Amino acid sequence: MLGSGIVMRRRIATLFAVTALALFFLLGRVAYLQFVRGSELQRRALENRMADIRVDGKRGNIYDRNGQELVRSVSADTLYAVPVQIKNPRETAEKLAAILGRKADDIYKIITRPTNFEYIEKKIADPEKVKKIRELKLPGVYFQEDSRRVYPNDNLASHVLGYVGIDNNGLAGIESTMDKELRGQPGWIVQERDARGREMPQALHKYIPPKDGNHLVLTIDATIQHFVERELDRIMVEHRAKQATIIVMDPKTGEILAMGNRPDFNPNQWEKYPAEVRDRNLAVWLNYEPGSTFKVVTAAAALEEGVVTPNDRFYDPGFIMVDGERINCWAAGGHGSQSFVEVVQNSCNPGFITIGLKLGKEKFCRYLNAFGFGRPTGVELPGEGTGILYNEKEITNVNLATMSIGQSVSVTPIQLITAVAAVANDGRLMKPHIVKEIRSPDGKQVKKIKPEMVRQVISRDTARQLRGILEKVVLYGSGKNAAVEGYRVGGKTGTAQKAGPNGGYMPGKYIASFVGFVPVEDPRLVILVVVDEPEGMYYGSQVAAPHFQAVARDALRYLGIPPKIDANSKKDKEDKNTKKVTVPSLVNLPLTEAVHKVQAAGLRSRVEGAGEVVLEQLPKPGSVVPAETEIILYVGPWGEVKEGQEVTVPDLTGLTLQEASELLGMLGLRLETEPGATGYAVSQDVAPGTRVRAGTKVKVRFAPPLLESGP
Amino acid sequence: MFERRHLKNLDFPLIIVTILLLLFGLVAIASATHFTAGEKSNAPYYLTRQVVGIFLGLVAILFILRIDYNDLAKISWGLYGINLGLLALVDILGHTTLGAQRWIKIGPLQLQPSELAKVLIIITFADFLQKRAGRLNSLRQMLPCFIYIAIPALLIMKQPDLGTTLVFIAIMFGMMYTAGARPAILLSIFLGGLALAIGVVYGQYHFGWKWPLEEYQLKRLTAFLNPTRDPLGSGYQVIQSLVAIGSGGVFGKGLFKGTQIGLDFLPRDEQHTDFIFAVLGEELGLVGELVLLFLFFLFLYRCLVIAARAKDLYGTLLAAGVVSMVSFHLLVNIGMTTGIMPVTGIPLPFISYGGSSILANLAAVGLLLNVNMRRRKITF
Repeated sequence: MLGSGIVMRRRIATLFAVTALALFFLLGRVAYLQFVRGSELQRRALENRMADIRVDGKRGNIYDRNGQELVRSVSADTLYAVPVQIKNPRETAEKLAAILGRKADDIYKIITRPTNFEYIEKKIADPEKVKKIRELKLPGVYFQEDSRRVYPNDNLASHVLGYVGIDNNGLAGIESTMDKELRGQPGWIVQERDARGREMPQALHKYIPPKDGNHLVLTIDATIQHFVERELDRIMVEHRAKQATIIVMDPKTGEILAMGNRPDFNPNQWEKYPAEVRDRNLAVWLNYEPGSTFKVVTAAAALEEGVVTPNDRFYDPGFIMVDGERINCWAAGGHGSQSFVEVVQNSCNPGFITIGLKLGKEKFCRYLNAFGFGRPTGVELPGEGTGILYNEKEITNVNLATMSIGQSVSVTPIQLITAVAAVANDGRLMKPHIVKEIRSPDGKQVKKIKPEMVRQVISRDTARQLRGILEKVVLYGSGKNAAVEGYRVGGKTGTAQKAGPNGGYMPGKYIASFVGFVPVEDPRLVILVVVDEPEGMYYGSQVAAPHFQAVARDALRYLGIPPKIDANSKKDKEDKNTKKVTVPSLVNLPLTEAVHKVQAAGLRSRVEGAGEVVLEQLPKPGSVVPAETEIILYVGPWGEVKEGQEVTVPDLTGLTLQEASELLGMLGLRLETEPGATGYAVSQDVAPGTRVRAGTKVKVRFAPPLLESGP
Repeated sequence: MFERRHLKNLDFPLIIVTILLLLFGLVAIASATHFTAGEKSNAPYYLTRQVVGIFLGLVAILFILRIDYNDLAKISWGLYGINLGLLALVDILGHTTLGAQRWIKIGPLQLQPSELAKVLIIITFADFLQKRAGRLNSLRQMLPCFIYIAIPALLIMKQPDLGTTLVFIAIMFGMMYTAGARPAILLSIFLGGLALAIGVVYGQYHFGWKWPLEEYQLKRLTAFLNPTRDPLGSGYQVIQSLVAIGSGGVFGKGLFKGTQIGLDFLPRDEQHTDFIFAVLGEELGLVGELVLLFLFFLFLYRCLVIAARAKDLYGTLLAAGVVSMVSFHLLVNIGMTTGIMPVTGIPLPFISYGGSSILANLAAVGLLLNVNMRRRKITF
């Protein structure tokens, strides 16, 4: 026993040593946690009980140059949950789902997460829903004040403005590039909470208020933008183009007064549009071969370098041979003998190629650079293209030849208009810009963006000389359709075949364009119209120039730029202004016909909507209005009349039986006639303008013409 | 049986240390159940029940002191049978809490047989071992001991209560070592078992074995290795416990002022039970924990003194069993709250809330006092 007793006591001593060691080890661990990791873990403890809720500042508004509101922020409530406070998650989820129109299971998943804070639905636009949810008084479900973006003009300047995502972050357009200014500084609600998310009485409570975002004033003029949008609608209707873009710029400052594209989108419902529509601002994104409009650049370089003078003679046999390659003139048979002025006027390819080759690739490339091609202009819009230029070393004579006429060179619309604006601005290339001012939330000016001159590209004299030549293009050449009565207009048409994806040109696919400025003596506006893949007519002179004319005419009048008018036209105009006109009935007419009828009556038209047929007009037919009053035509597509839908009965007088039957058929109405009716409609039993249900029978009396009118 | 001279031999240091530990525990429970979040404090409820537990423990001590501990050895097989019976009863009548069947109801009391089983196994195993003293030199000789422990251990594992199972194994090793079993064999079995356990966990973790642990057990067991992997799930307790202790600093935030505790970042039903060490760490800081660990040190020291001067091997083994039990509890519980041991859910002796635990630990103190009281006259 004694021996074993000694062993035992030794073992007890060992046991004691082991336990003491274990205790010491645990003490060491505690000390490590409290000393070494103390500050880190203390911070964790603090974070644990602070629930931070981010509060966004109100996003700044965007105004046009005259202070008209283009974008504003309105209050919208964001619904969030403090999951641990929710007593009955299943029931809460079901009640919310019913009001929000969502799946109860989805909401259930959100509100049962083991956190202190979860968003359920952001920016609830419908105040009714908010009211209903508030009335439920559900525990653990709260609202947070938030704001929502509203674009009061819907599609107007949509690509310029862009849109914002659910977290108030700008995703396109100015909203994206100026996001920092517009967004402001987010604030925080710091609330001490326990693990169950209950706010604690006498707890730390801190509110770091958000700073509202700055307002922006753009260089855009909403009225001119309206003109542009109107013309874009017309282009799409009249030419069934794939896409189109128009830019209006003030050449003296580089300010963009208007910029629009088709297809466009409504930023209020941007999710409904494909990304390639809403995220592609063609005006800055599109890379295209400019064709003849680019000859302005070739001419500017050649005149500045003294390679050519206005009276130099050229001979065009209809083609030109460059290093064994034959390049045709667009005009079969050629333009024969002509001066340089006439070469520009006729947009003669061999003439320009001759000049280009004479200039040489080195000088030509220097001017391309100087005019800003091949790199972004730096306008405050996202997604700007760079254009594509040949590497100078690789340029062959054939390349140089085709580049001189605006092929095998790729530019963006904003590059081209900026270059032409330099010609209009006496050779001074201005950096294009679209943000005019930044204002603080209380309206004080924070920053004014001054016009920025990039460089003098050509001399003032060369610029003026070239403007004179380009005026002749409009007066006598391909740009006649761009002429605005009472003003001196200069410009250049362009019709470029489109390059296919595999190289080579695609037959029948063109880009028609027109770039011009007005008035020639002191240009105030530069306008570029680009129409991609028009159907039918495809010459820039036919497709683009008329829309340049329309925008220029209305913008000049709107800006109050006095016309250089001779006595006659002035008198004529005064007559027009005082003359009263009766508004014709346009409802149910094809759009083109309606537009003609409006013009014939001495009125102006504005198209709203998309489609080929006029559904509604304002003012109503028969009203007497001053000449030049704008008639709004609400258009829609053909053949969408459903049974029972209300339609307006057209005036059938003067139509043949077949015409009347077609017209009524398209409107979903039925024609009833006496058997054997011939000639022209003379009367109808339902008066024109009456609203009836589709399917209604309209009884029409036809009569043969009594007499062909005699002398 | 109960003689006056015995009273003189009561080990007063042990009694004082035990009282201090119990008071420490009551304060900790008061703080852990006192909520600051605008709710009515639950402290009176828990304190009352804990005090009742202590009272029952004192009754148990008085009862144990009246018996000569050597009489316990005589009925050891009966006690072993009762022990197994109670544990089996849990499987039949068990009341489930926190995913485990551990309770049986006796009138208004809920009894946790696994807590009492620890004390019973010390009493019975000591007898089993003393009869084999000097004959524990080979694996074959030791085998009966392993089987003796394995039967109740498996019953507890079935509840499932991994923590208590491990306590049984710790008690077994501690007592066998003290009884003179060959250390080399004990050590190799210990290391072999450890390797096997790690191998099984590794296999379940990496090769998707479905046995023997349930998935939630596995997650809980391994969460301490990397609590941030599942910070809101299995790693939550460990992270919050670390934050509580670490944020306490040297002096702590003061009693009733811990935010981790008061604000329920530590799960409420574990603050006053398994994670009470974290409460003390946050509120009393390093100083508080130092005092607590020192009290435990004194406690274990007294136990070993008693073990050393017991009049017979049975008494020594009883004391060694209590030392093994308490120190293993300390190691696992504090190790768990400080993130170096798996979360197995065993309480901190004398401190954690829980009547059965208090009762069992006080009964163990009763055994120690009993052994000391009846020690040989001659001291060393």
